Amino acid sequence: MKSSFVQETGARPAPYMNPYLAGAGLGLVLLAAFVVAGRGLGASGAFATSVSYVVNLVAPAHTADNPFYQKYLSRASNPFKDWLFIEVLGVMIGGFLSGMLARRVARTIERGPRISDRGRLALAFAGGMLVSFGAQFARGCTSGQSITGGALLNMGSWAFTLSVFAGAYGAAYFLRREWK
Amino acid sequence: MTAPLITSGALSPSYDLFFALLIGIAFGFFLERAGFGSARKLVAQFYLTDLSVFKVMFTALVTAMVGVIVLNRVGFLNIGELPLIGTYIVPMMAGGLILGVGFVIGGY
Repeated sequence: MKSSFVQETGARPAPYMNPYLAGAGLGLVLLAAFVVAGRGLGASGAFATSVSYVVNLVAPAHTADNPFYQKYLSRASNPFKDWLFIEVLGVMIGGFLSGMLARRVARTIERGPRISDRGRLALAFAGGMLVSFGAQFARGCTSGQSITGGALLNMGSWAFTLSVFAGAYGAAYFLRREWK
Repeated sequence: MTAPLITSGALSPSYDLFFALLIGIAFGFFLERAGFGSARKLVAQFYLTDLSVFKVMFTALVTAMVGVIVLNRVGFLNIGELPLIGTYIVPMMAGGLILGVGFVIGGY
């Protein structure tokens, strides 16, 4: 592995890590979060924190008696001094570091050959809305539910994970023009 | 049971957010290493051309799961302090289906 890394020259990106090795790494990161903080990994919670903050800025009357927003706004002095929010900031830093070290950082719009950039961006936006809606509905996303809850054998987390795969496999056929 | 270290008081809660940043950096690092910065690589799972999502996810689950069980058995980690999520089967399955469809549409 080391020798192939040394042979890399110029801007050629390094190959991805062996998936089983990367999975074991992620598992140990999750275990460390359990052991140190008693918390799991997450992502969607940080977005809920940000949304609650912005909605509270423009419509405080709306958030005042809404239990969903209050859950995220009531934290101590600053809603951003939140474990998940800080963790997601770290995810961005760590992902960028890894991408830089592997020479994978590039400005690009990933899409299949049969769709325009604009079409792909519009679908990315629509997909993002569905993902965030689904994550709020299910009390978590692929990080908080599938990985964290899955490792603890939470029954709801496994029902969620199987549903994610079912939904994605079911929809994939209709979206093949976007990717293939 | 000395772990979770912050819940048990073995580690001062003032390190909590600093640790959140470290965990996040490591999480993001391994996600990108695995290729999950790429929407096409993620979505390839659902066209059965690249099963990385499956391999990475379930290796991570099993690794953490075994770690939790072993650390609990040796009397180090208190499982009762870990984040168990209540079961709300209908919203969780509906949310999962919606998220899964959004995953293929959006790519992430």
